Amino acid sequence: MGDPRTIRVVVATDCGSTTTKAILIEEQEGVFRQTHRGEAPTTVEAPFADVTIGVINAVTELQELSGRRLVDDEGRIIRPARMENGRPIGCDIYISTSSAGGGLQMMVAGVVREMTAASAKRAALGAGAIVMDTIASNDRRRPHEQIQRIRELRPDMILVSGGTDGGDMKKVVEIAELIAPARPQPRFGGKYELPVIFAGNRDAASAVRDALAVPGIALSVVDNLRPTLEQENLGPARDRIHDVFLEHVMAHAPGYDRLMAWTDAPIMPTPGAVGDILQTIARRRGINAVGVDIGGATTDVFSVFSHEGAPVFNRTVSANLGMSYSISNVCAEAGLDAIMRWVHLPMDDRELRNRVKNKMIRPTTIPQTVEALVFEQAVAREALRLAYQQHKEFATTLSGVQQQRTVGDTFSQSSGGRTIVDSMALDLLVASGGVLSHAPRPAQTALMLIDSFEPEGFTTLAKDSIFMMPHLGVLASVHERAAMEVFERDCLVHLGTCIAPRGEGREGKPCLSCRIEPVAGANGAADDGSGAAFSGEIPWGELRRIPLAEGQEASARVEPVRGVDVGAGPGKPVERRVRGGAAGIVIDTRGRPLRLPEERSARCAAVARWMKEIGAID
Amino acid sequence: MTVVHPPSSAVPGLLAGADPPFLSCLAWDAGAPWLLAAAGEAPKPFLGFLDPGRLWLLLLLAIVCAGVVACIGLARSGRPMKVRRMPALDAVDEAVGRATEMGRSVLFVPGLMDMNDIETIAGLTVLGRVSRTVAEYDAQVEVPTARSLVMTAARETVEAAYLAAGRSDSFNPDLIYYVTDEQFGYVAYLTGMMSRQKPAACFYLGKFFAESLILAETGNAIGAIQIAGTAEVSQLPFFVAACDYTLIGEEFFAASAYLSGEPDQLGSLKGQDVGKLFAASILVVGTALVTVGSILGPESAPAKAAAYLVGEILR
Repeated sequence: MGDPRTIRVVVATDCGSTTTKAILIEEQEGVFRQTHRGEAPTTVEAPFADVTIGVINAVTELQELSGRRLVDDEGRIIRPARMENGRPIGCDIYISTSSAGGGLQMMVAGVVREMTAASAKRAALGAGAIVMDTIASNDRRRPHEQIQRIRELRPDMILVSGGTDGGDMKKVVEIAELIAPARPQPRFGGKYELPVIFAGNRDAASAVRDALAVPGIALSVVDNLRPTLEQENLGPARDRIHDVFLEHVMAHAPGYDRLMAWTDAPIMPTPGAVGDILQTIARRRGINAVGVDIGGATTDVFSVFSHEGAPVFNRTVSANLGMSYSISNVCAEAGLDAIMRWVHLPMDDRELRNRVKNKMIRPTTIPQTVEALVFEQAVAREALRLAYQQHKEFATTLSGVQQQRTVGDTFSQSSGGRTIVDSMALDLLVASGGVLSHAPRPAQTALMLIDSFEPEGFTTLAKDSIFMMPHLGVLASVHERAAMEVFERDCLVHLGTCIAPRGEGREGKPCLSCRIEPVAGANGAADDGSGAAFSGEIPWGELRRIPLAEGQEASARVEPVRGVDVGAGPGKPVERRVRGGAAGIVIDTRGRPLRLPEERSARCAAVARWMKEIGAID
Repeated sequence: MTVVHPPSSAVPGLLAGADPPFLSCLAWDAGAPWLLAAAGEAPKPFLGFLDPGRLWLLLLLAIVCAGVVACIGLARSGRPMKVRRMPALDAVDEAVGRATEMGRSVLFVPGLMDMNDIETIAGLTVLGRVSRTVAEYDAQVEVPTARSLVMTAARETVEAAYLAAGRSDSFNPDLIYYVTDEQFGYVAYLTGMMSRQKPAACFYLGKFFAESLILAETGNAIGAIQIAGTAEVSQLPFFVAACDYTLIGEEFFAASAYLSGEPDQLGSLKGQDVGKLFAASILVVGTALVTVGSILGPESAPAKAAAYLVGEILR
């Protein structure tokens, strides 16, 4: 890989399960911009069984659109970028992510489910894996059931943790003794050795090595991810997962050996790359951020929240919450009543059930009528709400830690395992996934995000319209400035800013007074008059939209009534700069937690009023 | 000897304001003589079926009992009974988990008193839950006791918990043993044992006196998660300051209902809360009446109402 200062043109691909997406990033007038995009079907499965064919097809589309020759006659990506016969050819670096073939599928194990096993799960999810199951000594399953489970799931990799350094050995070795007889068959290749990473009690490493000294298992030992219960050390385990992903999993997937030879940076699992770019943004801007990617089968939620002065990254995969394959599960888990509370139009229950099942068996269909769209967006709200709830329950402080008390704690004894996700502290909420990215109106995306995540205080809303974050995650590891510039200018489509007070009040009673005055935009753009100034009181139960175009900023001063908090404490005013977007500034005084009217006709009227106000419907 | 002026209604035929033909040398109750006798006669006690002066008390008792019965009925009918979170009880899993990860034992101290003490009984209720978690996590719980009867009861409690968890084979009765009846002999043993074995989780649930701080400080020094619970008010500050979690007074007795989640126990707990709420509201009303009465004078309606409340209702 060359010097980052010499990089001018970047080609990045993301090999998904069905589509391989390629983007071209070029330096223009000293600033990196994403200029073109191409895509082609992924070719990891038979009859092609070679991922590079799909990559070359996607990059070929890119070269046709850009006019820059990127693929040579032998079907390889041309490097470095240069001029040939007066025409630009090639790129300086080529990078890629992959989630083809179901991505990286892992099992994790630990002694106690809420302690070392939870840490192992955080390490695996943070590295971009899908955690198929968690084995723990207190998971209430018998050993033969655990062995059967390992055998059935056939993971790509197993991460074993357990015991603090100098702590428990017996149960750690028992876990290893479960894996040895299970001998799960690999998904790829007959000669594949199942990688097992041990990141537990270092005193138990030799005993674990003895227990796993059987053919078909490749053991590697890294530092304990919980050396003490007060400390979590996920870095070495995550790095090792990346290495093993490349050495074992990718090397055995069809065509990946060639692809690995082409790339100028290690191939990353797609969710891992998304997590990396979100962490980079949070670190560079000093903000708390949440990203969500809602797919057909799963919903990924990523978060970076500051805890005790350090940013903490968490990722969860809600395996049964999605908009097509998993739509029935969303309906079952949330309940049809919960979904229907977001629907303001009269709909027949039988027709809805048919609609759900049709979506499940024909996952690529898109809504053809307003009713179908409203219903699909209602399902999305519930899927997102449940996924965020699961994320909050997972992203917690460490459990099993000794507390230090004073007599002042008599009536407020907080416990370990508290969520670190604080909606009031959230600064940026980024959405991706078909139902959010391709909603007919940006206001619909904004409203779906507000209804499901219930942000409090000041929160900037944005969407990643073409799911570029994975590419930028890998690019950040090579050229951070380029990744940040593309992220700011081309990746995010800003929807606007949501201002929402924490608390509840009776509808119509005063909630807050607000003054908004547009100023020069974030990128130096002058106020073009598309942003309207606003000054006035807003009562409880309202959803008010104040237009402010993308690229513009406004100065907002919000004074809540006594007992209501918008970020500075109950009753205290807040003055901040807010960013505009396609949905403008949305002031949400519906209260937190968000409660809709119980009575059906009142609820429908309220939902319709809010949708109209924000511009989601006419 | 005190000359009293009983109310005319108290003795048939007595004229109001007339010189009393009575001599009272007897007990007083709420400012009124309860036994009167004519001069020269010996007082004759009698047993009444109902003391009409205490009808109010009967009414209050009926209200509290009705509250308990109604709440039990509601709980049985499936109505959710919200009990506020008790971090000390929620932390049992965390404490036992810590011991499991660190490969160390769990120490349970049921206090100094015998089985006739309600706090010891409440402590053993929690021991049942702790040992069940210990059995599920395949850890070890050690219960040194200061009373032989407590040892027997604790053994049965722990054995039942292991059986319920399906791990009866892991139950070791030798880990539940008697040390000494002597307060400081017991404490000396415990602190020595804690310093040597360094249990990762310590539970102090029962009746504690001067040893509370010694135990809690030792546990804190060895880095254990500590959960304490006692109704002994003078020891609570020490436990709160030195332990991770503390069950305070009534919480300790509510633990059984909180842990079991059984409708009868939860309903009973809620019913008691209704009674407490009722008592508290009487206190507030009484205080307000006395305060206003003292401002307006003794002949004012609030003052008379306060006197009636004290003299008749709460008699």
